[in-house]
Amino acid sequence: MLNINKTVEDGAAVFTLEGRLDTVTSPDLEAEIKEVLPDLKEITIDLENLDYISSAGLRVLLSTQKVMNRQGSMTISHVNDTIMEIFEVTGFSEILTIE
Amino acid sequence: MEEKNLVIKLVGRIDSNNAADVERDIISQVTEPKETVLVLDADALEYISSAGLRVILHLKKICKDLKITNVKSEVYEILDMTGFTEMMSVEKAYRLVDVTGCEEIGRGANGTIYRIDQDNVVKVYNNADALDDIQHEREVAKLALILGIPTAISYDVVKIGESYGSVFELLDAKPFSKIIAEEPERLDWCVSEYVEMLKKIHSTLVPANKLPDMRETVISWAKFMQDYLPEEAGKKLLSMVEAIPQDNHMIHGDYHTKNLMLQNDEVLLIDMDTLAVGNPIFEFASIYNAFIGFSELDNNIIKEFQGFDFETGKTFWHRVLEVYLGTHSETKIREVANKARIIGYTRLIRRSIRRNGLESEEGRKEIEHWTKELLELLNCIDTLTFTPYELEIVAVKENLPEVQAFVQEHLERDDCPLKAQMQIDLAVEEIFINIASYAYTPQRGKASVRVMVSDDPVTVTLTFVDHGIPYDPLEKDDPDVTLSAEERQIGGLGIFMTKQVMDDIAYEYKDGENILTLKKNL
Repeated sequence: MLNINKTVEDGAAVFTLEGRLDTVTSPDLEAEIKEVLPDLKEITIDLENLDYISSAGLRVLLSTQKVMNRQGSMTISHVNDTIMEIFEVTGFSEILTIE
Repeated sequence: MEEKNLVIKLVGRIDSNNAADVERDIISQVTEPKETVLVLDADALEYISSAGLRVILHLKKICKDLKITNVKSEVYEILDMTGFTEMMSVEKAYRLVDVTGCEEIGRGANGTIYRIDQDNVVKVYNNADALDDIQHEREVAKLALILGIPTAISYDVVKIGESYGSVFELLDAKPFSKIIAEEPERLDWCVSEYVEMLKKIHSTLVPANKLPDMRETVISWAKFMQDYLPEEAGKKLLSMVEAIPQDNHMIHGDYHTKNLMLQNDEVLLIDMDTLAVGNPIFEFASIYNAFIGFSELDNNIIKEFQGFDFETGKTFWHRVLEVYLGTHSETKIREVANKARIIGYTRLIRRSIRRNGLESEEGRKEIEHWTKELLELLNCIDTLTFTPYELEIVAVKENLPEVQAFVQEHLERDDCPLKAQMQIDLAVEEIFINIASYAYTPQRGKASVRVMVSDDPVTVTLTFVDHGIPYDPLEKDDPDVTLSAEERQIGGLGIFMTKQVMDDIAYEYKDGENILTLKKNL
């Protein structure tokens, strides 16, 4: 289960995620991001209430990061310890901008 | 020459005054003593002295055998004191009990249980010649009690019309069937007590040769079925039953909600005559029949039998499997239910055929229905054993939540720390999705997941098995995690993350199976 809360204003989007970002739910997030991605200058993904992330979730973050590197900036906010550990072992803590 | 029974009534007193006359009188009636079993009916015998006992000894010597029946308690005492009860068959006179108008509180394979007064119940046996059955039930009930299963043991044998019965003390006890029918809000409580007792029975090891082996019984059913099933299906049924390993753990054999009682606050098991040893799947077969199998065609049968309706019976059966197996996984529950149904239908079909079911329209309809179900199951099931900690499921992405939930349910029971649970969850996802994506493409296939928790040190072991193309996920190089976003490939992270969160991973390809074993120390 993943709840996605999305606000977009003047080319800046905030995605707030709640629940699990896994094989089953990642396609939903990917679709939601794709919908607004072409016009974005800034994207923030808030993980405060994210309990779980698998490689499928990391894939969505990485592909979004690749696009934003070309057209603006991406920030990951409110990362909890469990998720942070995953970011660290996979080197994602170096790739992503974590606030 | 055949032996024959000669029944002679003894009347009044036999003492030194008339002993010689009695002896002469009886001997005159025995024409072929060597072929005669002399049955002395002592119903009207008031007293016997040592002179009378000598007569009996003499008669026993000249006849093939001698029995004394219907012995009043005063006379029985004399026979007991003098050791006669050990030298020959002496049957007590049975107290007469009338069950007309008594409440039926239980019913089993061999008889019906009635409450005769506030403190006592009587089990009336269907078989008119039930003394051996009564003796058997008494012995197995004693055995069960010694092994720690709470049950009632009969203290008296009585006569009810032409049948025998055994009397138990059972104070104010209410069968679970009645609780379910009258207090539906207590269904979950009933399920939990019912399963707790069931697990207690199934974990009880029985000393060798004390109880019948259910496996042998079911093998004989499967052999019987060979004449009534297509050849291939019959062979498969028999070989599957034979493949069930011998097991010396107890099974009740007729474990339905009329045989479980609540007495004050204690749960008590009754009707022990079907007690046996064997694999728990045999138990589930009889439970399936009690709640569903018997009533599959005529849904009213269960209502007459248990007092609640077919839907309640189905719900109860499903909840029992859920709690017993410790999972909500429908795949797991269906697996065990289907295996139980194979044995259940085998029993129902055989039972109906032996009761001349093939000779009536109604019987043929039943047999046809059960046979159709049985053949369908034989088509898609290959073993009859199950383990609660293993789930076999079609390896597709959509099944991931069920697999994860199955593993989590097992870990929660063992107080696995939250963080480790999450890490194991991750490993399960990465491995299962790998199998779902690559093992069988473009076809579909099954994967099985086994969860084991061992103590000292506490270790969780996950085993994934699939029959897909040989593939060792550990062969692949780890991704370079120091690369920049631009340089990094999308993908390839799953196995790497799994290696990071688990303590040990081993791959093996054996007998056409990819076997991946993952361990995590807690």
